[in-house]
Amino acid sequence: MENLALVAVVAIALAFDFTNGFHDAANSIATVVATRVLTPRLAVVWAAAFNFIAFLILKTHVAAAIAKDVVHSDVLSIGVVFAGLLGAIAWNLVTYYLGLPSSSSHALVGGMVGAGVAKAGLSAVISDGLSKIAVFIVLSPLIGLALAFIFMVVILQISARVHNVELLNRGFRKLQLVSAAAYSLGHGGNDAQKTMGLIFALLIATHKISANAGVPLWVVLAAHTAIAAGTLTGGWRVVHTLGSRITRLQPHGGVAAESAAAATIFFVTAHGIPVSTTHTITGSIVGVGSIQRLSAVRWGVAGRVVWAWILTIPGAALVAAASYGLLKVF
Amino acid sequence: MDRRAIFFLGAAAAAALLIPATEEGLRWVPIWVAVIYVVLAVASWLDWRSSHR
Repeated sequence: MENLALVAVVAIALAFDFTNGFHDAANSIATVVATRVLTPRLAVVWAAAFNFIAFLILKTHVAAAIAKDVVHSDVLSIGVVFAGLLGAIAWNLVTYYLGLPSSSSHALVGGMVGAGVAKAGLSAVISDGLSKIAVFIVLSPLIGLALAFIFMVVILQISARVHNVELLNRGFRKLQLVSAAAYSLGHGGNDAQKTMGLIFALLIATHKISANAGVPLWVVLAAHTAIAAGTLTGGWRVVHTLGSRITRLQPHGGVAAESAAAATIFFVTAHGIPVSTTHTITGSIVGVGSIQRLSAVRWGVAGRVVWAWILTIPGAALVAAASYGLLKVF
Repeated sequence: MDRRAIFFLGAAAAAALLIPATEEGLRWVPIWVAVIYVVLAVASWLDWRSSHR
C-alpha cells in the first residue's frame, strides 16, 4: 500500500514539474519571442532542449536543499508531500488561469511549509533554511536587475563604436540564441531540482534511500523530462505578459536580460538556493527597461506580478494545510 | 528629480536590510548588491544632472 502511495505521489510531483514547465518555463523564451529572434514554436523547442540537458552541467544542491532544509525530515511523510504538492499545483493553476507570472518555486515551498505546519506545528519548519530561501526571494530579482542594467551600459558603450546598425542587430540576434540557451539551462537546473528534491524527500521519508545518499539518476532524468515536456506544451499568456507588457525589448536588451538572469541563476544554483526563475528574469527585464528611463517600465503590470509573488507562499501554504487536514479526515 | 537614482537607492536599502537575515557564508552577497546599487544611484544621478544642465 505504501509503495502504491509513493508511486502516486511521485507521479503527482512529476505532474507538478510539468505544470512548472508550462507555467514558468515559458518565461525562458519570453524575451527571445518578444525580440522576434525565434518564432514561438522554435523558441519553445530551443528552451525545452536546454531545460533537459541542464543536469549534465549543474549539480543537485538545490534538490538537497528542498529535501532537507525546508521541513524537518522526521515530519516529512507521503501525506505531507502530497498535501504540499496539492497546494502548489492548485496555486499554479489559479495564477496560470489569471495569466500571472507567479512563482512555482514559492508555491512549492509554501505548500511544503503549510503541510508541515498542519502536521506538526511551527516546529516542523527549519527556520534557517526557510530564511535563506526568503532572503533570495528578494535578492535574486535585485541581482538580475542590477546585472542587466550593467550589461546594458556595457552593450550600449560597445554599440556606440559600431556604425553598421544592421550588422550590430544581426550580431545581437545571434547572441540572443546563446543567452536564451544559457537562461534555459539555469532554469532547468534550478526548477527541475525542486521536483527532484520532493521525490528525494519522499524516498528518504519512506526509507528507500539513506539521507546521505545522492539524488538517484532516474529521479534526475524524470524531473528534467517532465519540465522539458511542460515547456513544449507552452504557456503563452505568461510569455505575453513578460515579453511585451513589462517593457519593449530589442535584441541587445534580450541578450542583457537573459545573460543577467542566467548568471544569477547559475550562482544561486551552485549555492543550493531554490529561487524563482520568474522573479529573476522579470528583474532583469526591468533592469533593461530602466536603462533609458523608469517610465519605460510598465509598473502597473510589474506591480501586479509583485502582488502575485507576495501572495504565493501564504496562498499555497493555506491550500496545502487545508489539503493535509482533509487527508487526515479521510 | 532623478527617479531612477531614488529607485536604485531603494533597492540598495532593501539589500542592506537583508544583510543581518543572511547566513554568514553568503552575507557578502547582499552587501555587494547594496554597494552596487549605491554606485548605480550615484552614476544615474550624475547622468541625470549632466543632461539637465
